[in-house]
Amino acid sequence: MTVFENLSSRIRRRGFLAGAAVFATLLAGCAENAPQDTFEPAGPNARKIDGLQRELFYISGIVGIIVLAAVAYAVWKFKDRGQDIPEQTHGNPKLEILLTILPAIILVVVAVPTVSAVFELDKKDNDCIINVTGQQWWWEYDYSGTCGGVEITEPIVTSGELVIPAGTPVLLRITSRDVIHSFWIPRLNGKRDAVPGRLHTLRLEADQPGMYTGQCTEFCGLSHARMRQAAVALTPADFQTWVNNQLEPYSANAPEAGTTAAVGEETFIAQCSRCHQVDDLTTAGKDDAGNDITVPVLAEPDRYVVSGSAPNLTNLMTRTAFAGWTFDLLTEECRDRLWNAPPDEFGALYLQGVTPECFDETNLREWLRNPPAMKPMYTDPNNLAASDGKTRGMPNLNLTQDQIDQLVAYLLERK
Amino acid sequence: MFTTGSKLFFGATALSLVGAIVYSASTDGPSGTMGTIGLLSAAAVFGFLAGINFSNRDGNVPAMQQGVELTSAAAARPVRNSIWPLIAAVGAAGLVVGAVSKPVVFKVAVVAVLAALVEWMVQGWSERASDDPQHNDQVRRRMLYPLEFPILAAAGGGAIVYALSRVLLASDKDLGKIVFGIIAVLVLFGGFVFAGKRHVKRSTVTAVCTVGAVALLGVGVASAVQGQRTIDEHPTTATNSAVCLEEGSEAEIDEHASQDVSAKSSVLAHVYLQSDGSLVVQVTGYTEPPSTLTVPRSTPVTVLFHNDFSSPERLTGRFGTFGTAPEAIQCTTAVNPGKTAFLNFEIPRGNAASSSDLEFLVPGTGSTIVIVVP
Repeated sequence: MTVFENLSSRIRRRGFLAGAAVFATLLAGCAENAPQDTFEPAGPNARKIDGLQRELFYISGIVGIIVLAAVAYAVWKFKDRGQDIPEQTHGNPKLEILLTILPAIILVVVAVPTVSAVFELDKKDNDCIINVTGQQWWWEYDYSGTCGGVEITEPIVTSGELVIPAGTPVLLRITSRDVIHSFWIPRLNGKRDAVPGRLHTLRLEADQPGMYTGQCTEFCGLSHARMRQAAVALTPADFQTWVNNQLEPYSANAPEAGTTAAVGEETFIAQCSRCHQVDDLTTAGKDDAGNDITVPVLAEPDRYVVSGSAPNLTNLMTRTAFAGWTFDLLTEECRDRLWNAPPDEFGALYLQGVTPECFDETNLREWLRNPPAMKPMYTDPNNLAASDGKTRGMPNLNLTQDQIDQLVAYLLERK
Repeated sequence: MFTTGSKLFFGATALSLVGAIVYSASTDGPSGTMGTIGLLSAAAVFGFLAGINFSNRDGNVPAMQQGVELTSAAAARPVRNSIWPLIAAVGAAGLVVGAVSKPVVFKVAVVAVLAALVEWMVQGWSERASDDPQHNDQVRRRMLYPLEFPILAAAGGGAIVYALSRVLLASDKDLGKIVFGIIAVLVLFGGFVFAGKRHVKRSTVTAVCTVGAVALLGVGVASAVQGQRTIDEHPTTATNSAVCLEEGSEAEIDEHASQDVSAKSSVLAHVYLQSDGSLVVQVTGYTEPPSTLTVPRSTPVTVLFHNDFSSPERLTGRFGTFGTAPEAIQCTTAVNPGKTAFLNFEIPRGNAASSSDLEFLVPGTGSTIVIVVP
């Protein structure tokens, strides 16, 4: 085989590989099940970003094509064919002025919609304010005041799913408890960093009821890839129902005496309540005089976890996933039904929460058996000296099968 | 058998190894480990260099051709004067003096000895490189300029910065601004003059720069000897309830407290003490001031206090009593009218876990804002 044949074979092989890579990239753009697609905005803020990037893409595309065409022409036209070296010129004021003014005009044209969009996105007028706090590796949301006209009489603390009223500008006040995270729901708006000690705002608005997923986009440690979240948009009426449900007293869902769930409540208090709060949960105690009284069960995650926080489980089964919104609580069939529900049916389905028929026990059981095995976390007791024995994430509590059964029964009633 | 160069490096290797053993045996803890590792690393490097020198016979002609060093043309030239033996001797004396007096003297002496050894060795080698003195100078420059220029530039720059900082610390704040404003103008003016007069003599420029540098270093040394002026501490916050729950006093007023721009740039809320003595909180996103301030638990947050009252006041935060720990109280320094101060704090648990109320207050005014921690 000659040198030229070798070269030709190599070029063909590389050409094939390059073609395959381009083809694969194009195919990736055809994915149907892409809930985090920035090119399908579902709210006014995301639409502004999408519109801006499309305009810029067209402008830069045209500029790019012109430049590439000019380069290709120059390469072809002035290819060395043995001709004399062309006349060499140094300095052409007219051309240089043109080549300065033209890009400047293009930049000005690009700057107008860009600056306009930046100011639009920075608007802080809203009908609802929600505090968003990131920690390794989940998001917490707390609500107070009024939201979309709905009065929130007591603070609501939830995690994983950010429930918002559709068609309502919602201002998120974002911060972090440990390291830098970044909040992103691609179909509703751009990203915003969550930085400890700082407060950043981001406005979300969803056009229609539905589920809009996202994930942390700032590398934040071992389980960064498993720090996911969703915005759940409900109609104002459904949102009112959701708020009412969140504010229901614990007694409305307290386990009946003698049931496995009731035993699970005791197990929860003994094993889980050090870090996880269930609002209004009480237990027997003594006052200073030694009299029997009922005392509130108050979590102290600041003693055990680096971030000083663990998800509030008061209404766990009103959410569809847990552990940083990574593992489903719903069966695949029920999840698909919810995710694909038309906007007018979505709210009713979502407000059902996790019903016994739709409950996927497997994930929760596996999680309770050994959390770090499902989601890598810094919980090895031999390596916690640097954090004063505090973990990053949930350690393995070495629960027995009976305890897991009891906890599952108890948690299934947290709605 | 062993060439001169390899003997030098074999000796250095042995010295480093002995040093490593002695240092390791006599020093405990992390510094002992680090020092031992450093000395062992030096031994490895010297051993490597010794091996190279041994294998190529120092790249030395006499090692392969006995007596040529005495008869060659290069050997016919007498060696030139050198200041480095003197510096090495002074450095060696400095090592002894420094070992029994001040560590800084010892460190300077180490630097002097190392510099003298390197310069002396290279000078000695370059003078025998050929019988052409110009060529010998050239090879010396080629060998040492890449070391000398950056080191001298860094040392010169460091000396100037250090001298300037001593002068600034010693002089009055306002006087310092004026003096260095004048110096900046003079430097700028000098630059203009030199730039405009391209044919100015090199010796003139050198003289002006040398006089300026010597003057600066002289004033710097004098300032360092004089010591820095008295600099007041500006506490911005306190955690002492005896301080935080009392009204602000003149003695604690600090107009420049809390100038940390980054802390002020992204705050949870602005708390205003209004002219009528009432407290109002403004929170980004709320069009109307909320009646309570919601604070996420276990999260470091900052509020900015604005004193619009007629007298100096402080903002005090009562951040709860959790378990058996005493009540957490934190406050700003007393803030002058029209001024601001920030308060950075973290509340570990929610209101429900606290046995005392959580609130902001300004002592003496009776105004409070309830803090809600979900």
